[in-house]
Amino acid sequence: MSEQQAYEPKVVAFLCKWCSSAGSDLAGVSRIQYPPNATPITIPCTGAMSPMYILSAFNKGADGVLVSGCHIGDCHYIEGNYLARRKMHLTMELLKFIGVEPDRFRMSWVSAAEGAKFARVVTDFINDLEPLGPQDKLKKVVAND
Amino acid sequence: MTKKRTGVFVCHCGTNIAATVDVAKVAREMADENTVAFTQEYVYMCSEPGQESVVQAIKDNELDSVVVTCCSPNLHEKTFRDNAKRAGINNFTCEIANIREQCSWVHNDKAKGTEKAIKISRSVVRRVNRNKPLEAIAVNVTRKAMVIGGGIAGIQAALDIANAGIEVILVEKQATIGGRMLQLSETFPTLDCSQCVLSPKMVEVKRHPMVKLMTYSEVQELNGSVGNFQVKVLKKPTFVDPDKCKICDHCTEVCPVVVPNEYELNLNARRAIYIPYAQAIPASFTLDENACLGLNPVVCGKCKDVCEAGAINYDMRPETVTENVGAVVVATGFDLYGQENMPELGGGKLEDVLDGLQFERLISASGATKGHVLRPSDHKEPKEVVFIQCVGSRDPAKHCAYCSKICCMYTAKHARLYKKHVPDGRAYVFYIDIRSGGKGYEEFVQRTMEDDDTLYLRGRVSKLYRHNGKVRVLGTDTLTGQNVEIDADMVVLAQAMVPSKGTTEIAKVLKIGRDKDGFLAEAHPKLRPVESVTAGIYLAGAAQAPKDIPETVAQAGAAASKVIALLSQTTLSRSPLIARVRPSHCTGCGMCVDACPFIAIRLEGGKAVVNEALCEGCGSCSATCLRAAIDVKNVTQLQIHEMIEACLA
Amino acid sequence: MINIQDIRDTAKDMLAKGEVRAVIGYRRGSRGMPAEPAFITNPEQAEELVWDPTCFHNLSLYLVEDRKFLAHLNKTSDAPIAIIAKGCDARSIVVLLQEHYFKREDVYIIGVSCEGTGVVDERKLAPHLNGFQATKAVFDGDDFVFTTAEGEKRLPAREVMADRCLECRNPFPKENNVVFGEDRTGRELAEPFAALARFEAQGTGERWDFWSHHFDRCIRCFACRSVCPMCYCDECVVDSITFPVTPATTAEEKANRIRWIERSATRSENITYLMTRAMHLAGRCTDCGECERACPVNVPIRLLNNKMEREAREKFGFEPGASVGGPSLVASFLDSDPGDFIR
Repeated sequence: MSEQQAYEPKVVAFLCKWCSSAGSDLAGVSRIQYPPNATPITIPCTGAMSPMYILSAFNKGADGVLVSGCHIGDCHYIEGNYLARRKMHLTMELLKFIGVEPDRFRMSWVSAAEGAKFARVVTDFINDLEPLGPQDKLKKVVAND
Repeated sequence: MTKKRTGVFVCHCGTNIAATVDVAKVAREMADENTVAFTQEYVYMCSEPGQESVVQAIKDNELDSVVVTCCSPNLHEKTFRDNAKRAGINNFTCEIANIREQCSWVHNDKAKGTEKAIKISRSVVRRVNRNKPLEAIAVNVTRKAMVIGGGIAGIQAALDIANAGIEVILVEKQATIGGRMLQLSETFPTLDCSQCVLSPKMVEVKRHPMVKLMTYSEVQELNGSVGNFQVKVLKKPTFVDPDKCKICDHCTEVCPVVVPNEYELNLNARRAIYIPYAQAIPASFTLDENACLGLNPVVCGKCKDVCEAGAINYDMRPETVTENVGAVVVATGFDLYGQENMPELGGGKLEDVLDGLQFERLISASGATKGHVLRPSDHKEPKEVVFIQCVGSRDPAKHCAYCSKICCMYTAKHARLYKKHVPDGRAYVFYIDIRSGGKGYEEFVQRTMEDDDTLYLRGRVSKLYRHNGKVRVLGTDTLTGQNVEIDADMVVLAQAMVPSKGTTEIAKVLKIGRDKDGFLAEAHPKLRPVESVTAGIYLAGAAQAPKDIPETVAQAGAAASKVIALLSQTTLSRSPLIARVRPSHCTGCGMCVDACPFIAIRLEGGKAVVNEALCEGCGSCSATCLRAAIDVKNVTQLQIHEMIEACLA
Repeated sequence: MINIQDIRDTAKDMLAKGEVRAVIGYRRGSRGMPAEPAFITNPEQAEELVWDPTCFHNLSLYLVEDRKFLAHLNKTSDAPIAIIAKGCDARSIVVLLQEHYFKREDVYIIGVSCEGTGVVDERKLAPHLNGFQATKAVFDGDDFVFTTAEGEKRLPAREVMADRCLECRNPFPKENNVVFGEDRTGRELAEPFAALARFEAQGTGERWDFWSHHFDRCIRCFACRSVCPMCYCDECVVDSITFPVTPATTAEEKANRIRWIERSATRSENITYLMTRAMHLAGRCTDCGECERACPVNVPIRLLNNKMEREAREKFGFEPGASVGGPSLVASFLDSDPGDFIR
């Protein structure tokens, strides 16, 4: 942030293949605009979402992490999102506990039919992140040369 | 590990991508990646020349892996994987970077869009760098199918499958097959008798050599996967041997227990020993264990004493059988949305307020009143009948958001049938819109309005209450803007269709998804309307969405043809993106075993072992393992880690 | 009150009869007051066993070490091993059993109830001793009696007990083969999670100031990991220096290790390490407190684990090490799990 450049939060968005990734596709097909700050990574299921991915993303400089999957009861793999709900709850609580701003981590359920909701989730998240400024608590400090 | 030679193919998609993403810059940036040996951009990569150029580039540049940055993988992943195969490399080393739906179409700012497209592309290049060549997994197929639900959908599906020479097990929860259709009087728009159409099919399915009928049975558990399911079915005891029962009816004459008859929607009563309908299949009595005084000659035993055929056996016990099948069709049907949910319309407690199905039984020749329209309270012929459409349907705020689709038609039918029975009667219909799409449907409604002089009132009914021995209907006619007050002899509510109770239960047992309204979810709303999200499990009838009989029959036929196509193969190929254990890191703690939704992991010799036939590749094991000892192939934690790095670079 | 002689006699008897191949217990330490772990294999040595307020070690760690040692020798256990276990230690053993680390018949649990007290916190004790070193500590009802050069010093246990013992409600080892002492399950000397609640009452900024201070100080000596019976992995996911190279390790595996964090003991890397550890201990940590006791720079590690423990209990109704057949926290779920944080 050397210049007078506006702060652009960097977000990694972990999307499950069957619902939220398909939902983001629908947002695309419907041409619903949302901020370009979130880079999607498609995972098979939120059940595959290791807490390590979240810690790792913050460690590598993410300002926010979004995890989005199928609504409860709709998981393509039946139970993956139930397992995710528990793991993500624990991860989120731990992050808050050590003093990471609660708005840096977000989870949502976005179905394949909820393109507009996907756009809204990303937009809201970016709006909530902007006032927080860059995340440097967990970010690895790289020596400048 | 030798360095990968990845080719990156950047599609413009006309201007769909190129308008908001600097495609040349994406290609340049990708060329800088360590493992990228070749980059190319093209206006339509999925066109014939585009595809050819990919094949040629793979050959010319000795590429071993491919990233196509284009539209969603749902559209062209298969296209480009096939091209990779055609060019002689493994198809699973080809991946798609979605820079259209997830990028160009949702952003206006070209600089930022380009930046994001680069991040997406780079992360996929990094992923592909560690992709392994994989082969689809071949599994043997059990050439047998199970159909769950013995209504018209299930019967049709079972017959179609059986006629292709494939064995079918038809499982029905009730004591007879026939389902909802057997309860209908006549059907729209032809007004032919429902039972006359259905009964021959019921007999056919009973007699078909390739069909095994299991009535009064419930599916309890399903294991395995497409091609090889193991299904546990509970056969409830009927306490009557269907082979010996002569349906002489002597048993019901002596049975002292009277309970409401659920098959007649409680419009009349039955005995503890009963036959649902005269046309029931199997043609045999059933002894209702819960109603019977005790299944014990000491307590009662009258039915057993009177049965000359010796068909009654109090010692029958529930029995669980396991059937191996290759495919399953779920046709568990619908219920009507309960009247108790509509307190303003009496909440199911007002006399002479019936739902659509009750009215069907009332006018059915085989029903409680033998086809005479007599209102329940005093058995008099109702002279003024109000039909109300959209009860519970199209009401997102309080009830069901969706349209139940068939109510406009069956209400028109009800009005016509009523007029046929009571020519001097008056029928009113409250409607919001008339939705009569279908062959001959609109004409049918018009005839109801014109020939039968049914008064159609556009508007909702706000309240029903008893008044001077009648049901007072308070409504609004929105076309004239006037309030309407009718003292009706009888009111028929076209309650919304909801998934049957059995549908809700079976979805849990089969672990198949449901949509927001509870109907069984199809795999794709347009292109895979009869498949569930679980491979090998198909959907038919009103369990998937409200639909009429022709549509149900068509869907059942479609599901059957999918089953036939599936079971015509000797082996199946499954996605090889499944879990893999690193035995050196596995401590055998068993957390993955517990986390696996598919019971695909077991411990053997202190290490986790994945059953490749059962694993679906969800990765729940991988996220649960504390030591990264289990990973999904080509979506490993290492790959995700490097993708995260690429996104944040 | 537990009579140590009963434990000694039990140990001696089992060793003499060959029913167990060793007894893991505590004996007089060589570093002054604290008891030290003892691996007793001959019946006479059983007389060395002690039971006093300094028996803080969670000896289940040595069950893990024993299994690793046997595996290294390519041997299997020919007789069970007996272990003296407090309430928390026994729960650790239950977690290890849940994770199939060894079989129930491989271990003979000699349970000892902490009854109304627990173990001493040396940091709390020091101010009470006028600068003298204690050389001995004994239980006496709800008091501890310490011996120093000044003579005997009697202190109410509550004043010098470890926080985790004050907050412990299950001082009785439910899973046992034989047990000594009274069952005082449900006792409440202090509100459970009291220290945690005090900490959490602060705002995000204060919490971060507190933790960043501690995360800065961590020297990543891994003492916390070394004393933890749950950290039995051969290779720690966040630290590749423990990467085990065996004849079965392929070149690919060597090349494909994930480097989640760097080796340098900088704040960001320390956070990732300690957070990962807390996540990995969620539902497994039985609050034996050894990590925090072993930490040379006094990072309040227990607070992190406590936080996970309370979330598990309050949100998921989960108690670590409750029963051998019980589920694992993160490999199971309930329909009622909270989901209101999800948009």
